Amino acid sequence: MPTLHVLSDSPFTDASLSSCLRLLNEDDGLLLCGDAVYALLADTPQLQALELIPDSIQLYALEEDVQARSIDAPACAQVIDYPEFVRLSLKFAKVNSWL
Amino acid sequence: MKFAIALFAAPHQPSSRRALRFAQAVIAQGHEIVRLFFYQDGVYNASSAVVSGQDEIDLPSQWREFVDQHQLDGVVCIAAALRRGALNDEEAARYSRTAASVQAPWQLSGLGQLHEANQIADRLICFGGA
Amino acid sequence: MKSLLIINRQAPWSGPGAREALDIALAGGAFDLPIAMLFLDDGALQLMPGQHPQKLQQKDLGANLQALPMFGVDSLYVSARSLAERGMPQTSLTLPAEVLDDTALRALIERYDQVVTI
Repeated sequence: MPTLHVLSDSPFTDASLSSCLRLLNEDDGLLLCGDAVYALLADTPQLQALELIPDSIQLYALEEDVQARSIDAPACAQVIDYPEFVRLSLKFAKVNSWL
Repeated sequence: MKFAIALFAAPHQPSSRRALRFAQAVIAQGHEIVRLFFYQDGVYNASSAVVSGQDEIDLPSQWREFVDQHQLDGVVCIAAALRRGALNDEEAARYSRTAASVQAPWQLSGLGQLHEANQIADRLICFGGA
Repeated sequence: MKSLLIINRQAPWSGPGAREALDIALAGGAFDLPIAMLFLDDGALQLMPGQHPQKLQQKDLGANLQALPMFGVDSLYVSARSLAERGMPQTSLTLPAEVLDDTALRALIERYDQVVTI
């Protein structure tokens, strides 16, 4: 059952991103919101790790969090709003939030 | 579709606002929210004692209006709430406390309500962290 | 009935997080729901033997963890990587948790109807 993983903590202070990346299954999704969008900063090991995940795993970022933080979302991340977040939560079989 | 939404973070955390915006989008798309469940620091969102600055977002008020407007089932974990001083009249009387800050539409109840909501709903979405 | 996997990343004495994650599992077990718990990252530290919570005037989380099987929560897992990162031997854990590598953890997450990471 494909899982949408939702991260919100900064990848520079919390291990959730690196732990989550190791636990992703084929066809899972990963949504970055809150401080987790800092993983999209250019020239960081975090973004390099995200760029290495298989194409079958879709990467998303919450639009307001990207815009608020002056981050240019890279091509590997699809920027979504709340209505799309709701639709994604139904597209995947379950949502695993990393609290 | 039926959603259950659980909030684990305090109103001053960004995830509280994120949970509310998500819940509003759920309703806007014609889905149903079978229950909101506040756990851990999320219980503070049900407190009427939070005072926000005039030019600041007031999440406890926005949550209350949202629940009232859509007649939702808003449940606050009683054990987590007692630990954090978020009491209703009944609990304030039971423990001889002078202040009660949790009123309708919020109800204090147990963690079984979270599990029940998860069983009823098509999706349980949890919000917490930063 | 929907099964629930709780991924527990809470260090034992950093606040009520560990206790409140455990309470979710115990409440589910009390309702005979299929619940499992995975100790990941700092959550693995909850399984360290010889802890003395009374030094911090804390209730004994370890004793409460022992209640999991009694509440019907006997699907207990711990990440081999999390243990190794923290220098914890797999052989001396306070719970009979199954030690799983990353591949097995991916299969575990796939299997459950609902997963929440605390």
